Amino acid sequence: MSQLMIADRVPREELMTSGHVACPGCAAPIAMRMVLKALGPKTIVVMPASCWSIIAGPWPQSSLKVPLYHAAFETGAATASGVRAALDMQGDTETTVLVWAGDGGTFDIGLQALSGAAERNENILYCCYDNEAYMNTGIQRSSATPWGAATSTTPAVQPQSTHKKDILAILAAHRIPYAATATVAHPVDLLEKVTKARAIRGTRFLHILAPCPPGWKFEDDETIELARMAVRAGVFPLVEVEHGEHWRFTAEGAREPVGPYLRKQGRFRHLGEEQVRQIQAEVDRRWNAMRRRVESSESDEDGSLAEGG
Amino acid sequence: MGPSGSEYRRVPPIAVSSSSTLVNHTGSWKYIRPLFQDRVAPCNAGCPVGIDIEGYMNLLREGRVAEARDLLLRENPMPGVTGRVCHHPCEVSCNRESFDRAVAVHAVERMLGDLAMPEVPLPAPPARNQRVAIVGSGPAGLACAYHLAGLGYRVTVFEAATQPGGMLRLAIPEYRLPEAVLDREIERIRARGVEIICCVNVGDDLPWWSVRANYDAVFLAPGAHRDRALEVEGEQSRGVEPGLKFLEDVKRGNRPNLGRQVIVVGGGNTAIDCARTAVRMGADCLVLYRRTRAEMPAIPDEVEEAEREGVKFEFLAAPVAFESKRGRLKAVECVRMRLGPPDASGRRRPIPVDSDHFTLPADTVLTAVGEVTDLAAVPQDLERQDSALRVGAWGETSGVRVFAGGDVTDETRSVAHALGAGKRAAIGIDRYLRQAAGEPVEPDGLARLRYGGSGNVSITRWRGDDPIQRASPTNDVVRFEDLNPSHFQRAARRDDRRLHSETARSGFTEVNLGLTRDGALEEARRCFNCAVCNGCELCLIFCPDVAIARGTDGNRFDIALDYCKGCGVCAAECPRGGITMTRAGL
Ligand SMILES: Cc1cc2nc3c(=O)[nH]c(=O)nc-3n(C[C@H](O)[C@H](O)[C@H](O)COP(=O)(O)OP(=O)(O)OC[C@H]3O[C@@H](n4cnc5c(N)ncnc54)[C@H](O)[C@@H]3O)c2cc1C
Ligand SMILES: Cc1ncc(C[n+]2csc(CCOP(=O)(O)OP(=O)(O)O)c2C)c(N)n1
Ligand code: SF4
Ligand code: SF4
Ligand code: SF4
Ligand SMILES: [Mg+2]
Repeated sequence: MSQLMIADRVPREELMTSGHVACPGCAAPIAMRMVLKALGPKTIVVMPASCWSIIAGPWPQSSLKVPLYHAAFETGAATASGVRAALDMQGDTETTVLVWAGDGGTFDIGLQALSGAAERNENILYCCYDNEAYMNTGIQRSSATPWGAATSTTPAVQPQSTHKKDILAILAAHRIPYAATATVAHPVDLLEKVTKARAIRGTRFLHILAPCPPGWKFEDDETIELARMAVRAGVFPLVEVEHGEHWRFTAEGAREPVGPYLRKQGRFRHLGEEQVRQIQAEVDRRWNAMRRRVESSESDEDGSLAEGG
Repeated sequence: MGPSGSEYRRVPPIAVSSSSTLVNHTGSWKYIRPLFQDRVAPCNAGCPVGIDIEGYMNLLREGRVAEARDLLLRENPMPGVTGRVCHHPCEVSCNRESFDRAVAVHAVERMLGDLAMPEVPLPAPPARNQRVAIVGSGPAGLACAYHLAGLGYRVTVFEAATQPGGMLRLAIPEYRLPEAVLDREIERIRARGVEIICCVNVGDDLPWWSVRANYDAVFLAPGAHRDRALEVEGEQSRGVEPGLKFLEDVKRGNRPNLGRQVIVVGGGNTAIDCARTAVRMGADCLVLYRRTRAEMPAIPDEVEEAEREGVKFEFLAAPVAFESKRGRLKAVECVRMRLGPPDASGRRRPIPVDSDHFTLPADTVLTAVGEVTDLAAVPQDLERQDSALRVGAWGETSGVRVFAGGDVTDETRSVAHALGAGKRAAIGIDRYLRQAAGEPVEPDGLARLRYGGSGNVSITRWRGDDPIQRASPTNDVVRFEDLNPSHFQRAARRDDRRLHSETARSGFTEVNLGLTRDGALEEARRCFNCAVCNGCELCLIFCPDVAIARGTDGNRFDIALDYCKGCGVCAAECPRGGITMTRAGL
């Protein structure tokens, strides 16, 4: 796709303002800005505690031009369910209720509320911007932190010893109508997914990789490049899944080795070659598992076609 | 607008925002800032003519074809010619070569050159009353005339031959450069007000003193038209002919009898033109070259075409004697060569292997080992440098009011270099005449005029009427490392359409047909638009701080420095190196 087409496909309306207090080069506001462009002004944001609670500005400020409800850390999905119910009572089916939560608020403390909402198929769009740790409180590890990463609670001498939780599979297992991954480096893919999600009723889940310069320890201007490299290395495949069973890659290209991606980040600086190989093996394992999901979805579709014919 | 009094009672106590974060001037955090900055693309810097290639490619991408042509015509009076016969060093420097394959700049240029003439003439300043004489109507002379006319001067070109064009007219074969194309280009040059008088050999038909006395300045561009001698025994025999004379003869419409077997001696464009012309006249042709293919000065594409048309090559071989029987050439005795250490030209020096001689049968030998200047025919008071006229940076000779350029000087022998030299001298002459008229001129502005600081010059910069608005322009060249190739997709380069070699070798119709208009426009879209903002808006899209907005006051973009935190994401993501992070102005 040519550049011009990207600009043409990004809605012009700005629903986020300058003057927010994210760190320089932070991906989290880029993600918010793009998602709101796709959703438009008829959106209510529910935001559990996170960096974004700060980015949104101290009272009486807001960096969003849409209503924003700050919620307790563990209550994103539950609060959104309530907001949705209130809107429905008013007959407003048009407004999107958007949960905007970090990985801590999604993978860990908010998971039970999210699972409950997904199980009830609440009519909400849940976006997790994933910077792979509790950044706002000083880079503590979460269950989204990748194996081998140094954080303030898993320092380089004893780095993260568990692999990142497969949150998309967990949500897919709830058989919600739509779940997908996206990154800030792929604006058209992101916009398409949000636009698609907006039109669907029920629980929709978007997992957006959002690199964090101070937390991952890279240069401020490398944010987009890091997200791009994560996709190219297969660390963060761009996929979508409908009703928990129709898996599809939305971008697939030649896979690159994971080493250069890791080497760009200070949080992996302590890793030796052997550990990089281990990470590569895990990335490959996950990639192959994803490919099998996609392929079996494809053959299911072929199968049903054959039956229909 | 907060809730009204009665509403407050219904809503539980809750803090409600009443202002935006715009009150925070987070721009105060930064220690570097982005600056939109147009630089110079390497194709442009590598072109000996000096052409805003990145600029016209960008206009083409926007579908502004006529404007693209006019931008090209500002700098290059003969794009139809260079699009066909230039060795296109622009493509060697093209950044896209580091990605997949270079943009076919020559084909795009050719398409633009073949378009109809501009309906509106290029802008001309008020006429100036000084007169300039130009001797020689090759590319150097015509370029100088064209640019001087564009600066308002009254220009007369004197040409010894019956038609203008220099080597383009006299020697370069029709199947590479149809005369109709050349005629069109010269028509466009005339339309700028240039007077061309043919059949006047200055120094013969018109004395040098009268030219020097009657004009305010003179530009000498007589080229280099004498075949270099082989200095081989038997060279004067019948059947051993100078290649340039042969080509000129054929271009005049003659078809000299060559016999069956023709051997061409040499490895430059003249040699290849001789060989391909001989093939078209039914001969079997062998090119004898004393080095290897890699060292051949001929344009590589031409060598390949020659091969396709059946021309054979014998590398590492040189003639040492010609054998005749009863006044007719029979054979060429050759010596095998090997390559020694590099010589002054940087190419490896050929050394004869004395023990290894062999003989090749030949009915005709065409010698094409280079053309030399005829300095006896130019005023004797002008300083020389070996076999060339010595000129300074602006083309000035040692003679007052006399300038020179092209093949008669120590310049690379190419059409593009000649066009560049003519342009440089036009600026030199303008500068000189303005100075003479008491107008202020920059003491040494040449560096500023050179695109990317390399050899060529920009007359647009000299005239100061660039139609393209440039953001904080600098003269740095954007290299591949300065681009962000993640935003580009691979795309196959379009190859020129060509006549089938069987058809090609049977006549003199043009072999290389270039690209269709649509093909050329598609090819132009492969251009990265290095160094010029093409409004892709990726900087705006990726800015985490919403600090870049579509511009006002004619700027493409405005940066809200009150909010830009200086993260540099815009500069890193700009595909074409259009943003510089700088401390300047903070
Ligand atoms: C066979 C051949 C093939 C070539 N192929 C290529 C190619 O493919 N690509 C490329 O880039 N370059 C090519 N070249 C080189 C290129 O043609 C020359 O470098 C270029 O033409 C030089 O331009 P010029 O204006 O200096 O001189 P010329 O083109 O030689 O023009 C000089 C003109 O001055 C006239 N003249 C000379 N003395 C007088 C006088 N006293 N009074 C009036 N008129 C005079 C001559 O008649 C001639 O018309 C080729 C050259 C030859 C010979
Ligand atoms: C119940 C509760 N525990 C702890 C906190 C402190 N707290 C605020 S934000 C945050 C980290 C959030 O991490 P994540 O959800 O990943 O978002 P990020 O800050 O990384 O964007 C924590 C621990 C809190 N607000 N509430
Ligand atoms: S800590 Fe990381 S996620 Fe939080 S605002 Fe800064 S860059 Fe963004
Ligand atoms: S990509 Fe375009 S602007 Fe860049 S060097 Fe090549 S032709 Fe020139
Ligand atoms: S990213 Fe695109 S719009 Fe921005 S400066 Fe570069 S070329 Fe221009
Ligand atoms: Mg986090």
